[in-house]
Amino acid sequence: MHASSAPREPPLKDRMKPAPPERELSREEVARYSRHLLLPEVGQGGQKALKAASVLIVGAGGLGSPAAMYLAAAGVGKIGIADADVVDLTNLQRQLLHATTDIGRPKTDSARDTIGGINPHVIVRPIESRLDSGNALEILSPYDVIIDGSDNFPTRYLLNDACVILGKPNIYGSVFRFEGQVSVFYPKAGGPCYRCLYPAPPPPGLVPSCAEGGVLGVLPGIIGSLQALEAIKIVIGRGDALTGKLLLFDALGTKFRELTLKKDPSCPACGDNPTIRTLIDYEDFCGVPHGTGGTGDQAEITVEELKRRLDGGEEIFLLDVREPLEYGICNIGGHLIPPGELAMRITELDPAREIVVYCKTGIRSARAIETLRQKGFQKLRNLTGGIDAWADRIDHTMARY
Amino acid sequence: MIRVTLPYHLRTLAGTGAEVTVDVDGPVTRASVLDALETAYPMLRGTIRDHDTKERRPFLRFFVCGEDVSLASPEDPLPEEIASGREPFMVIGAIAGG
Ligand SMILES: [Zn+2]
Repeated sequence: MHASSAPREPPLKDRMKPAPPERELSREEVARYSRHLLLPEVGQGGQKALKAASVLIVGAGGLGSPAAMYLAAAGVGKIGIADADVVDLTNLQRQLLHATTDIGRPKTDSARDTIGGINPHVIVRPIESRLDSGNALEILSPYDVIIDGSDNFPTRYLLNDACVILGKPNIYGSVFRFEGQVSVFYPKAGGPCYRCLYPAPPPPGLVPSCAEGGVLGVLPGIIGSLQALEAIKIVIGRGDALTGKLLLFDALGTKFRELTLKKDPSCPACGDNPTIRTLIDYEDFCGVPHGTGGTGDQAEITVEELKRRLDGGEEIFLLDVREPLEYGICNIGGHLIPPGELAMRITELDPAREIVVYCKTGIRSARAIETLRQKGFQKLRNLTGGIDAWADRIDHTMARY
Repeated sequence: MIRVTLPYHLRTLAGTGAEVTVDVDGPVTRASVLDALETAYPMLRGTIRDHDTKERRPFLRFFVCGEDVSLASPEDPLPEEIASGREPFMVIGAIAGG
């Protein structure tokens, strides 16, 4: 049930021999890495390869945290951390790079501090810009290995295509609720890429994000650590990487399952006749409207306008399409119908009334509006930014999640 | 009895747990298993395969005994492990959280 082993490039350590003098290990480093040096599979050669290596971690979040911390501790010479967000209270349940005192700081700042504290020998390159098709190739090209710790489909397709174009290994990990997926996408070494597995993303809002569906904090700890493990094996050229395999982890059952992946000869990125030779617009590709949480072509309503109209005594029907758990944390008095029940409970809604639909961020509500439209509803507005925007801009006392 | 595992968004839609069981009369193929699944859970119609073309949705994959059978013919017989329920027919979906 194992994949036939894919043709491999020579390990990075062989391509880098002999180590230049600055790659030699100091006395302090020999002591620091002694537990590695005792392993014949790592040894001086492997440790020097780690020191000579550079790894870019995209996303300083749940996956990027353990990946960055273990790679720093392991002695990877240069670690790039790309993330454009600031630390938020809701991050701290799983994103161990950041501490309570870091709330409001750029994630790349707290990541640099944490990594520096773990291992001052590591050169940290914080990259605070958002990766897009204009800058990705330039940002990725100085690195040997890329770790995908991003949290959205557009970035995942962007990273895949950029890695295929540049011929770099893309160490993929993703998590949701209690489930994780890990793989190494490395077409240059004969393996498949992310597009071979999933040629197109789900429509926006169909598969909830962790912000909407939740995630058990320790799960990205496990998956991100596996990504660090794969990166280290690729750098030292030992063991079997997850090239051509998809590892599934079920945290509730504590079960791992390894599946074999095949390269798709018709893959537009890495197939026999690739059509993707430059980066494309990934938000367009994923059907995500630029810059907002809503959808472009349907009527939106801002939280300010909704507040004004409600205060003015207007008869607006509020439809809340979140889960009951979320409703229990905070609500603005909307009629609750979880997305999975919408089609069955449509008779609870009056097509003659104006209905403002909201969820947490505006994505699930956009999808609910599509469903309602297909059933003939017309007077629908999507609350831009969802109940998050309401908590941000209207009711600061509202509980957030 | 055939076991089918579903990704989270389809479990929510069908109101089930991670795994459901269906019965298939006649040859056990991907098409007959998915037909049986859609008969038992009509709300899943159109979510795994396109309503009209019956093509697999591109963000889902089918795995059988650890192997990806997504690109194989839907009429190919599935192995005895699936027919007997020893191994589940796995529908795996893309997730993006990080
Ligand atoms: Zn591919």
